[in-house]
Amino acid sequence: MDLFLISNIITCLCAFAGFIFGIVKFFAPKKALYAQMITLAVGCMAFGRLYQVVRILTGGEILEEFQLGVLGVLGSLVFLFSANFGLMDSLADDGSKQYFKYRVIPLAAPAAAVAVYAAVFLFGDSPLLEMIVAGILTVFISGASYYNLKHLIFPDVDFGVINCLKTYNLLALVFEFLCVAEMVSNKSGSDVPALIIGVLSGAVLLAITPAVERGMKKWTT
Amino acid sequence: MDNLIYILFICTVAPLVLMLMLLKKRAKLTVGYMLIGIFVSLFVSELNTLLLSLFDGDMLYVTTTITPVTEEIFKAIPVLVFALLFTDDREKLMTIAFAAGIGFAMFENMVILVQNIESVTLGWAVIRGFSTALMHGVCTAAVGYGMSFIKKRRKLFYCGTFALLVMASIYHGIFNMLVQSDYKYFGFVLPAATYVPILMQMYGRNKAKVQKSK
Repeated sequence: MDLFLISNIITCLCAFAGFIFGIVKFFAPKKALYAQMITLAVGCMAFGRLYQVVRILTGGEILEEFQLGVLGVLGSLVFLFSANFGLMDSLADDGSKQYFKYRVIPLAAPAAAVAVYAAVFLFGDSPLLEMIVAGILTVFISGASYYNLKHLIFPDVDFGVINCLKTYNLLALVFEFLCVAEMVSNKSGSDVPALIIGVLSGAVLLAITPAVERGMKKWTT
Repeated sequence: MDNLIYILFICTVAPLVLMLMLLKKRAKLTVGYMLIGIFVSLFVSELNTLLLSLFDGDMLYVTTTITPVTEEIFKAIPVLVFALLFTDDREKLMTIAFAAGIGFAMFENMVILVQNIESVTLGWAVIRGFSTALMHGVCTAAVGYGMSFIKKRRKLFYCGTFALLVMASIYHGIFNMLVQSDYKYFGFVLPAATYVPILMQMYGRNKAKVQKSK
């Protein structure tokens, strides 16, 4: 059986499980918008992977050309970025000078993503379309990973909510770097790394919504 | 052939516009959005022809990757405008979204009919009517349903709208892939499998509402 297919099935099933968990736990009146956004991020990933599964099953190509599964990853990254940038960041960071280093250190995450993109796609031998798609994904990975790393190391002294969400931020950061690893692996077209990345992505997507739930519970009690 | 599509458009739209003037409130809104769906379908059929020529006539790639996105975006715009300007009422948004989707599908069926007049059969009509048309309705209704949630949460609006369009496009893409593959029967059943649970849930909710009011 095609390892790409197995990898996509695993990620898809795990993401759907995480998505359903999030729907059940967070989609009720007066529940946190932050958790709803994370749930939708996992949902986008689930739908994107479902598309790739069907595409492989119907004899289509997922690596050589642009396909809609990429939109699922993009949607997921948009939510991860908006959740931390739009909802959480202002709660912790008041813009004062004492936190300057906590704003600079997280730049390491986007820098690493951009460095990989530059080395593999920009200076490597890549077709234009592949370069553009990977470039767009790298932009969103950079934005999302900056805030996830920032909230992972930030000393949240006022509200404490970010401290409770450190596990989630770590998982999201791992997921974003798995997206980078997947872009690189897809370029080479080898299926064993794709399977490993698929399994790891699945595990992370499965754990994200429960981690958010635990964090929210810890904060409110 | 191009003229024939415009002739069909006028023949369909003119009587509906005349009827629209006699209708009131909810019925006017529903038929109005059906008309918008027909207009969007005409526009998209021209756009799709252009896109097909841009991709060297690769029908399978265009219909599974490009047209799901363009069609879902253009069908969602009128619903988005309605949600932004008038209301976030779930029932209203779902009704107009479904009407826009069905109007779109009706005209798309006519366009495909005149383009393939030699080869269409009764079976084709049943599949187009109960499967493809329903898929368009379900996709747009899902966007309308989701919009009623995200309109209430301002911070969710932009990325929420993006996510709804992504999900609708992917669902549409999956349907188009299935119906053109060996698994086409799964494709034919997919819209009904989505529509029936929604319908049952709506009936259940309405019934509960009626009982509560008694």
